[in-house]
Formats: sequence, C-alpha cells, structure tokens
Amino acid sequence: MSSFGFGLITAAVLAIATVGFTMQFAVTNVLNLAYGSVMINSAYVTYYLNIHHVTIWLALIGGVITGAVTSWCLNRFIFTPFQRRNLAPITVVIVALGVDLIGTFGLQAVVGSSYVAFHQTAGHEYHFAGMILNGLQLIILGLCAVVLGLIHWLLKYTRLGKAMRATSANPNLARNSGVKTQFIISTTWLISGALCGLAGTVFAMNTGVFEATSAQLYIVLLLAAMFLGGPGEPYGAMFGALIIGLSTEISAAYINPQYKEVIAFLVLLGMLAFRPYGIFGSEKTL
Amino acid sequence: MSAELSKPGQHLVATGLSAGYDGRAIVSGIDIEALPGTVASIVGPNGSGKSTLLKSLVGVVKVLEGQVKIGDNVVTNTAPEEIAKLGIGYVPQIDDVFPPLSVRENLEIGGYLLPRRDVEASIEAVLESFPRLKSMLTRKAGKLSGGERKMLAMGRVLMLSPSVLVLDEPTANLAPLVATQLLEEYIRGFADAGSTVLLVEQRAKAALRISNWTYVLGGGRIVLSGAPKDLEENPLFVESFLGGAAPTK
Ligand SMILES: Nc1ncnc2c1ncn2[C@@H]1O[C@H](COP(=O)(O)OP(=O)(O)OP(=O)(O)O)[C@@H](O)[C@H]1O
Ligand SMILES: [Mg+2]
Repeated sequence: MSSFGFGLITAAVLAIATVGFTMQFAVTNVLNLAYGSVMINSAYVTYYLNIHHVTIWLALIGGVITGAVTSWCLNRFIFTPFQRRNLAPITVVIVALGVDLIGTFGLQAVVGSSYVAFHQTAGHEYHFAGMILNGLQLIILGLCAVVLGLIHWLLKYTRLGKAMRATSANPNLARNSGVKTQFIISTTWLISGALCGLAGTVFAMNTGVFEATSAQLYIVLLLAAMFLGGPGEPYGAMFGALIIGLSTEISAAYINPQYKEVIAFLVLLGMLAFRPYGIFGSEKTL
Repeated sequence: MSAELSKPGQHLVATGLSAGYDGRAIVSGIDIEALPGTVASIVGPNGSGKSTLLKSLVGVVKVLEGQVKIGDNVVTNTAPEEIAKLGIGYVPQIDDVFPPLSVRENLEIGGYLLPRRDVEASIEAVLESFPRLKSMLTRKAGKLSGGERKMLAMGRVLMLSPSVLVLDEPTANLAPLVATQLLEEYIRGFADAGSTVLLVEQRAKAALRISNWTYVLGGGRIVLSGAPKDLEENPLFVESFLGGAAPTK
C-alpha cells in the first residue's frame, strides 16, 4: 500500500509534465523530445535560487518561468523555423532529440555531474487509507490538483483555451474565423513550458537528490502516459499519467526499480494493441 | 435568413489572378467579381481549380499574380485572420468544422472576433436560422451527420454577420430537399438581404437558378461566363453542364 502512495506522487508529477507535453503536440504538432532537458534545467534554476537563500516555494516560481521562457524560445527560434521549411514531421522530432542532448549535457558541462538537493523539509508524516504521505508529498498532490483544474478551466471555459483547441483541430479554419494562430501557438508554448518547468522542479523535489541527467529517461514515461491517454488529449494525459505512475511504482516494489521505464512501455504496448488511439483519443483532438 | 446575420455587401473583385501550390499555378488569368446583393457562382468539372481559386481569395492559398480587392481594400495574399476581420465568411469544401469541439464551441469560435457580450446574441440568431442545431449544442461537431455538419459550418461563418460569403460546395452530400432549401432560402436570401455571395456549386442547374452571374472554370481558366439565362441557351454550356442539347428557339 505504501507503493500506492509513491505511485500517486509519481503520477501527480507525471500528470503535470504530460499535460504540458501533450499540449505542445496537439496545438503545435511538435513532439518535443527535449521536454526532459527543459525540466531538469528548470529544476537547476530552482536549485540555484534555493541555495542562494530563496525559499523553495518561491524558487519554484523561478523554475516555472525558466520552463516557460525556454520552451517559448525553443519554439520561436528552433522548431518554427524548421516547420516553415515544410520538412517531414520526423525532421523536427530529430531536431528535438538533438536539443535534448545539448540541453542535458550542456547543463552537465556547466554544473558538473555530482548530485544536488534542494533545501527542503519533508514535513510531517500523515497516515491514511494505509498510505504514508509526508507534507511535501501532500503539497505536490495539491499542486497537481490545482494545476490540472486550472488547465481544465483554461481549455473548457476561456476564449484562449477554446482558440487553442480550435487551432489544434483545424488551424486553417481557425484562421478563417479570425484566430491569430501564431499567437495562440506561442502562448501554448509559454503555458506548456510553465508546466514543464513546474514538473521539472517537483520531479526533483520528489526524487530528493538529482543531477543533470536525472530526467533523461523521463521522456519514456511521458510518451507512455501520452499515448496511453491518446496523443493530444489533456484529459487522456492525466489518466495515462495515473496509470503509468501507479504501475511503475507498484511494480518497483516487487521487481528491480531500474525497470520502471520498461514497465511503462509494457503497459503502453499492451494498451496500444487494443486501442491504437489511446483510451480517450481519436486520431488527434485537444 | 434573419436580417441581423448579414451586413450590406462589399464588392469582391479578382483581376489577372493566378494562384497555386508550391509556386506552381493551378488557376491563372482569372477575372471575376461578385457584387453586393447578388450571387455569383463558379461551376466546373472536378479538379478544374474551383477550390483553389476560392482559397486564394481568402488568403489560404498563395496568389502568384494579379490582385484581389474587397471593397476598397486590396487583400492580395493577406492573412486569413485579417480577411475574416474585413467581414468575409469562408466555408471550405472539406474540414469545415472543428470536430472535437462542441456545436456551441464551434459557433463561439465563429464569433471569435465579436465583442464578448455579443457572442450569445449571435448564437441565438444563428440558431433561429438553423433550428436543428438547437438540440445538439453540446454534441461534438465530429459526431454530426453530413447535413447537420454543413449547417454548423454555415452557422459558424454567419456568427460574424459577414458582408461577403465565400462558399465552396455547401450542398455537397446534402439530401436534395435540404440542398434546395439551403441554396434558395439561405444563400439566395443572404444576397437578397444585400450581402455578397460567391458560390462554388457542382450542380450547375441549381447554381444557375439562384445566381445573378455564373463563371465556368475549366483547366484553371475561366472558359465562359454570363447571366444564367444566357448560359442556359449556350450550346457549349448546355452540353457540358446541363446534360442535353440546347433548347432550340
Ligand atoms: N494542397 C495541394 N497541393 C498541391 N496540389 C493541389 C492541392 N490541392 C489541390 N491541388 C490540385 O489542384 C487542382 C485543382 O484542385 P481543386 O481542389 O481546386 O479543384 P476543384 O475544382 O475544387 O475540384 P472539386 O470539384 O473536385 O472540388 C487539382 O489537380 C489538385 O490535384
Ligand atoms: Mg473543390
């Protein structure tokens, strides 16, 4: 039952990350494989603020802003110029992969390869329903709930969110309706980048100690969670994150935790055999 | 067609237009115009470039040569979102709705450029015209039938009370009765209310019945044009489009 608790936290972190990841894919058609490196770079900004006497929750805002700005720049200066050339979509995927390596190992070159940790306290331990969760974990859960609630509100009830979904579904028709899709896409990168920065920081909080390559395999979990729920489906992403988060942590209690990513992919493959578009998905819908 | 869904029309003119994909012209040497209060239609065989021509007028396909003017504005290669602002409503032949969005959300995006407080009233007006949509406001557009979907596509552009309607085969896949109603009531009514309509229509007979002027597109060029009653007597037109010999006088 304690691994269920762990799984819940892992799922919460993954949910925040996957929603941002899937929004980028849905609205801008970029499978941003550099997502993990933006996460870890954001976590490091939080870390540096934190060791310079900024309290962790304030420092986190620095991480969020880093994620937003970095992602916006990636889109503006790297992905969009490549997309403009009408290359095959796979080209942008390869470019993103390159960015990921540069982002990760560039960071390693700067910060070295030793492990670091935030100044944070895990807080009280709380027992309920057989789970033991500490204060920090409860805050992560709470953050996840708030963030997902906000994203739901954004997409369902705001003009911007509806324009994002329209741009995702049919960009030409959105433009014919007067939607400035380029602006919508930029804004999507800011918002999803903020989620990425937040996810990176809470990911680092949750693992306790981390280093530059800690999030390198995270992309595997992201892909699994995204495809599980249906690519481009934010609600599917939340659901996929829950399944992947729980199954990887619960299985880790029985077999070697090193195989987490393998478990994630086994779950994904099993599911794809039955529903190729994911549980919520139909081709591509935001 | 309720009056508040249309605005006084604007004069739409294209002169010496060529347009196409990847710098290769599909249509060329096109001179067409559509006047306020009238329906101008374009007929022609499959692949003759009708859709490409319409797309070039609304900024979706690149104009390679020539000029497009709407009212006093030269809008050659203007971005689609700017063209929408000028009051041009365009319904594409395919991909004419946002499938994952609900019917209501589709209409809301149609009214994206409206001041927020006017959106609700505009939805009401559209539903007045297409009452069938009333009972399916929360349904996803992707789940509508072909006919319902076309109504939604029309409803979406009417949200902005456009002054010019550019319609690409709005009656494709519709039952004959519904198609006739759409053409003769809504589309003709729109022009009668003073707006401008440019219509691509596969079924030449139906197009002639509601048009003030008709262009025939063949192989990317205007091969014939005229008032409906002149075309009805043109042997070439009758043979190619109306199926049969020209009436003898
Ligand atoms: N995106 C595109 N890229 C390249 N060529 C295209 C594209 N869209 C259409 N074409 C070509 O342009 C030509 C004209 O197509 P268009 O769709 O304008 O014809 P149409 O008159 O509307 O036909 P239909 O009656 O079947 O709708 C066709 O030969 C088509 O293959
Ligand atoms: Mg066509």
